[in-house]
Amino acid sequence: MMNKYKIVLGLFLLFVFLTGMQAQRASSLRINEVLVINQDNFTDDYGKKHPWIEIYNSSPGTVDIGGCYLTTDINNPRMYPVPKGDVLTKIKPRQHIIFWADNKPSRGTFHLNFTLDPEKPNFIALFNSDGRTLIDSVTVPAGQRVDVSYGLVQDGWDQKRLKEELQLNSLYKGGDKLWVYYDGTVPAGMSRAREVTPSSNNVILDSNEKVENFKENDRIGITMTITAMSVVFIALIILYMVFKYVGNMAVGLSRKRAMKASGLSKEQAKEIASESGEIYAAIAMAIYEATESVHDDENTVLTIKNVARNYSPWSSKIYTLRELPKK
Amino acid sequence: MNFLSFLTENLETFLTYTGFANATPGHIIMIVVGLIFIYLAIAHEFEPMLLIPIGFGILIGNIPFKDAGLQLGIYEEGSVLNILYQGVTQGWYPPLIFLGIGAMTDFSALISNPKLMLIGAAAQFGIFGAYVLALTLDFEPNQAGAIGIIGGADGPTAIFLSSKLAPNLMGAIAISAYSYMALVPVIQPPLMRLLTTKKERVIRMKPPRAVSQTEKIIFPIIGLLLTCFLVPSGLPLLGMLFFGNLLKESGVTRRLAETARGPLIDTITILLGITVGASTQATQFLTWDSIKIFGLGALSFIIATSAGILFVKFFNLFLKKNNKINPLIGNSGVSAVPDSARISQTIGLEYDPTNYLLMHAMGPNVAGVIGSAVAAGILLGFLS
Repeated sequence: MMNKYKIVLGLFLLFVFLTGMQAQRASSLRINEVLVINQDNFTDDYGKKHPWIEIYNSSPGTVDIGGCYLTTDINNPRMYPVPKGDVLTKIKPRQHIIFWADNKPSRGTFHLNFTLDPEKPNFIALFNSDGRTLIDSVTVPAGQRVDVSYGLVQDGWDQKRLKEELQLNSLYKGGDKLWVYYDGTVPAGMSRAREVTPSSNNVILDSNEKVENFKENDRIGITMTITAMSVVFIALIILYMVFKYVGNMAVGLSRKRAMKASGLSKEQAKEIASESGEIYAAIAMAIYEATESVHDDENTVLTIKNVARNYSPWSSKIYTLRELPKK
Repeated sequence: MNFLSFLTENLETFLTYTGFANATPGHIIMIVVGLIFIYLAIAHEFEPMLLIPIGFGILIGNIPFKDAGLQLGIYEEGSVLNILYQGVTQGWYPPLIFLGIGAMTDFSALISNPKLMLIGAAAQFGIFGAYVLALTLDFEPNQAGAIGIIGGADGPTAIFLSSKLAPNLMGAIAISAYSYMALVPVIQPPLMRLLTTKKERVIRMKPPRAVSQTEKIIFPIIGLLLTCFLVPSGLPLLGMLFFGNLLKESGVTRRLAETARGPLIDTITILLGITVGASTQATQFLTWDSIKIFGLGALSFIIATSAGILFVKFFNLFLKKNNKINPLIGNSGVSAVPDSARISQTIGLEYDPTNYLLMHAMGPNVAGVIGSAVAAGILLGFLS
């Protein structure tokens, strides 16, 4: 009876874990860039220009947006259900897709059943497939300019990531705003303009920032050496401390067992527990010599030929038979 | 066109396809290098398991041919060699090798005397010494990191890291790492003699205590959790290393452990060796950078060995008289398992024929494997 409960509990936990995992994967989707007034920008597959919303998959795995909901009304989270079963709704790791806010859902999966208002602020939200869990939302301010998009300062970033960069990365020059305008101007401190980038990275990287950082701040490699060696030492010191403690416990336990089994004093047991394996090996060898290896008649054959033993676990019956677990 | 001229033309065309017509001095040099590797492996038994596949791979990779879209070379997409090479470029051979290493490594020497782990940490100075030197030779930081890992004396780790940080240097780094691992018996003994006194070389260490199976089972679990929580980027290597060790020590997965340390590691070693060797096509390999990498590789081994030995001497200052460590095991902090430990034993026996250092040296030796994987994880985290 008890076992049944355990199995049910285990399955329940597995279900919770798996559904949690699914949720976590969908939760890595981000509303990444929005263009409200599209006059001379990206065209859809009908050759028309409409407002667009770019969704970014910030996770290292493919995420299917099919079944999720896009909306402009927080009270109506199921406004546009992204159709399921379309292979194009699967977003590759760190890639984007574009939805057209043209109120023409009959034109295909990526054509929404709402538009964006150029006069007012536009609230846009992405809900999970349950229609209740909010994945991401943004309010695009009123007064959007023609062919200027409003997007995340870097693909898929959130406030936490921006804060980390501001605190830890002295080379970061993107400013302290999470959402910025991509209007073709070059912001102060940056070397390249912010351009509208539908279906591609908001900031196109042409160098490895980490490597550049080390090149600029650690030309002779001393910082790297100190940091990395400290981490290596810390890792192994922690292991050392843990296993020193575990070792002491193990010695203590074997001492106790020896005392219990043979009624030895604490001091005698201490000696036994700290003996090396070599001593035990020597004792075992002596016992073996005394009991096994002294024969009047030897049962082995003396030969000068090498004895070939073609051993393979795959052909061994012992290994292919499953043993019953010990109770 | 008459028959004779057609035949002549055909033969001339055929000749342009042969290796003789396409050979360059570079190819010949690399073939000689391959032959030297094979010679060293067979005649001197320098890491034959590695040098034979690599040496023969060098021969395969340096057969000259005309690029006629026949999908022959290792760098031609879709060729057989290219498909086998994916395990190197995508970095999945090294973790499988680590699985086998874990399944064949006995960590009891380390568990019984855990302070030996620190020697394994100290020897990683070789990696960062080479990193600093590579930066001074104008390598980019990511390239310097990939070159530095040669000092970890761990071939799979070197391949794994260089495939991520500097794929264009991977051939030179892999060949350099494996060459110096094979040359450990030549590089280390003079340094060991130079940096130790006669008195230190005869220090007798306490015999290791018996380690219970419970401790051996706990080790890979705690080892994984501690090291990977600290350096998650070391997960592919450390995860597989400790997993393999748990297969071995759990006592209930004997078949899996046998496979991991037998057929699996053998298969991967063959594929890894032959493809790494074949990746050294003269056109890609014979550059000034490769020569610099070879020089830096030698220095990294020297720094790693010296750091291990000097650390033991320093550590001894804080240890009780009857608990001192023989500095001859300092060299085994580099993770060339078990060669460097064997050298500790050999040199130790030269000065005291009854002083067996092998088991003591295995402690820092396997700690070196963990240390170099942690160091690789750090470099990957910082520079990828």
